[in-house]
Amino acid sequence: MITRRTLNKSLMSVSALALASAPTALIAQDRPAIRIAVDNLWRTMAPLNGLSTTGNRININFYEALTEVDWFNDPSGATVIPKLALSWKRDGNVWQFKLREGVMFHHGEEMTAEDVAFTLSHERLRADDAYEPRGAIFSSNIVRVEAVDRYTVEIETDSPDPNMAQKLSNHHAKVVPKAHYLEVGVDAFGQMPIGTGPYKVTLFRPGEVMTMDAFEDYWGDQPAAASLEWRIVPEYAGRIAGVVAGDYDFAVNVPFDQQEQVRGYDNINLINTVAPNYVMFAFNTRPDPEDNPLVDVRLRHAMIQSVDMETIVKVLFGDETFFPTIPFNFPDYGDFYDPDMVDPHPYDVEAARALIAETDYDGEELIWHITRGFYDNYETAAEIMIAQWAEVGINVKMVVVDNFSLAYQRPFHLLNMSNGTDFIPGDPYRPLWLDWNPGSTRASADWKVWDPTDKFVELGEKFVKAVEFEERRDAYLALSKEWQDVTPGMYMWKRLFSYVHRTGVDWAPAAGEMRMYGNYLTVS
Amino acid sequence: MEFWITRAFRLALTLFVVVTLTFILLRTSYDPVVAMLGPDATAREIEMFRSRWNLDKPLFDQYLAYLGNAIRGDFGNSFRDGRPVFVVIAERFPQTLWLGGVSYVFAIVIGVPAGILAALYRGSIFDRAIMVVSVVGFALPNFFLGILMILLFSLVLQILPSSGASSWAHIIMPAFALGLTLAGILARFTRSAMLEVLSKTYMLAAEAKGIRPVRRAIFHALPNAALSVITIMGLILGNLVAGTVVVETVFAWPGIGRLLVTAISSKDLAVVQALVFVIAAAMVLINLAVDLSYRMLDPRTRRSS
Repeated sequence: MITRRTLNKSLMSVSALALASAPTALIAQDRPAIRIAVDNLWRTMAPLNGLSTTGNRININFYEALTEVDWFNDPSGATVIPKLALSWKRDGNVWQFKLREGVMFHHGEEMTAEDVAFTLSHERLRADDAYEPRGAIFSSNIVRVEAVDRYTVEIETDSPDPNMAQKLSNHHAKVVPKAHYLEVGVDAFGQMPIGTGPYKVTLFRPGEVMTMDAFEDYWGDQPAAASLEWRIVPEYAGRIAGVVAGDYDFAVNVPFDQQEQVRGYDNINLINTVAPNYVMFAFNTRPDPEDNPLVDVRLRHAMIQSVDMETIVKVLFGDETFFPTIPFNFPDYGDFYDPDMVDPHPYDVEAARALIAETDYDGEELIWHITRGFYDNYETAAEIMIAQWAEVGINVKMVVVDNFSLAYQRPFHLLNMSNGTDFIPGDPYRPLWLDWNPGSTRASADWKVWDPTDKFVELGEKFVKAVEFEERRDAYLALSKEWQDVTPGMYMWKRLFSYVHRTGVDWAPAAGEMRMYGNYLTVS
Repeated sequence: MEFWITRAFRLALTLFVVVTLTFILLRTSYDPVVAMLGPDATAREIEMFRSRWNLDKPLFDQYLAYLGNAIRGDFGNSFRDGRPVFVVIAERFPQTLWLGGVSYVFAIVIGVPAGILAALYRGSIFDRAIMVVSVVGFALPNFFLGILMILLFSLVLQILPSSGASSWAHIIMPAFALGLTLAGILARFTRSAMLEVLSKTYMLAAEAKGIRPVRRAIFHALPNAALSVITIMGLILGNLVAGTVVVETVFAWPGIGRLLVTAISSKDLAVVQALVFVIAAAMVLINLAVDLSYRMLDPRTRRSS
């Protein structure tokens, strides 16, 4: 029989239950929808076909790799932590990865070792008709990938590879659902990507907008935002005005010379962060054109020594970034980095003049191909450098073109480019070997700028096979010295990314990635 | 009948020349695959993409295949995202139509009456004020006006959204930025056309007959000035597309103007070619419509053709 007392008891129980569940419900309800004004969205969001600054910036929110660089606790980017893989071990050429259980893809299926094996497979990355051929360069030493059981994957390499776990934090290891990927094909997959990340893509209109909702079945903590909207606002002024006016919570890419003005607004924060990428130029060291004066290494060294790059970088960027005095001796590389290393080619105008006097160079015009506006402040830096070269009698002409296709057209003597450093976090493999080896574009494309010396190739192979740290460091030093003896380029500064966000949001950048989850984003 | 055959032939010839020239210029000016994949793409990747988009075939074969497909209305797939170009353009077209339509109506509603009034009150302060505003509107680049408006209405006053197209409030600034220039042009041309007509002897005769000024202006002067005004209205309708390229970029308006800019910067040849075709077709059709309106408005044109 229902009495007033039992009714009250029942109501109290229901109320208690409601109160107990309230925090979760409130948190879910109160999470804000975050809007981000971006300069562009890449044409496809497939993990590798969509490799780009504008794709990599956001795809970390819906894809996950086996491991992840911990930018939050180690802003140098040298620390890798478990993500979809919980543990790993190596036995000779074979790595075994134990996967996290209960991880769901956004379309409701559980991630298994089969999906991981497909993600890293020959069929997807390295075959002649691979779905995402850009993955070959990241996985060239993999000879076998196999699902041992539902949550265990074995990866065999052609020689012992101590860095596999670090490498698997990269784009080629962002796990895709095998069956769905094969069913829809890589183009359609890139238009509505499915991963295991904390956000699920709900709409993608390339050239306009991408929206995501927090993924309810995510294996980790729920992110601080209920949804994300990434909308293209091409004009920088429009992006900033949007954040100041409250239309957007974040905006990207504030030109450095506009930052002082942006700092004047009191309801937004400006963040500059360096990226794992160095802006540089390459010397064309080859006799193409036939009379190329830069085939003489002394002239190349003279050009390096006659430019006061440290001051140029200071003038253009203040203390926000720096000139890496000695190539590959980058602070990103933990124990490989030696702050006391002596620069073999320091800024020294007299030494430069003496070197030029030893050559046959007689003021011939050297053409520098530059892609318009691709790197912030590049053209300005080039103007100063050209003036400094003119001081020692070197005649450089800047030719600014609209895209890389035009920049690559010969003849040229100098060519703008940049060099990523992040393939193996904390290891100089990528900038020193991956991007300069005989198979790299710089040594094999129509526009190639150098022919690696026999010594460079020999030392490089030794470096690649080095397993223990001391052995690897010695090999790296020898390889780096050979590169500097040849000097096929000059590293200018570490690339900067800039962001603004409204106050009331706490956010930590992860270099070029905008991670909107975990410790990276909190909203008050 | 002869009129229609001549016009149809001209239309087809113009579009054929546009398709051919666009194809040749775009395909020979640079390698779209290298430009699209960026500086880090390997030679193997470049070859794979080139083969996938049939860019490894001889240029003439590519042209014949493209022309054959274009005649059937198939402009291929976007290099950017693999979707049919027709779908990509159709997705954006309504937004440009909406923005262009509002701007056009704004320009006509403001520009034509302002031009008529300026002509009727020629030499007055009113006339001078209208002409100053129309010259400013015509001379002010719409990207500059757009940024000024964003600074004032979004940044300082915070009463209008700075970019996007998700509500009616979003169209106010881009439509004004685009429409003001067009209104300026229309006002000036309407004024000139009206002044020319007002100086005719038949207007003097109408005045002598005692017809009231408003009636004279609307029923006697305006129809005779309409030919010039319609010509310029046709021209600015065609120029609307060029105008939206800039305004859509400044206000992040997701129309075909923005699509064209994105397609050019990302070397999406298929979309650029199709958009140039669509824009050319629109221009040709607008010109045809203007010709037809001449025939309707002026019996002399019908007789002479």
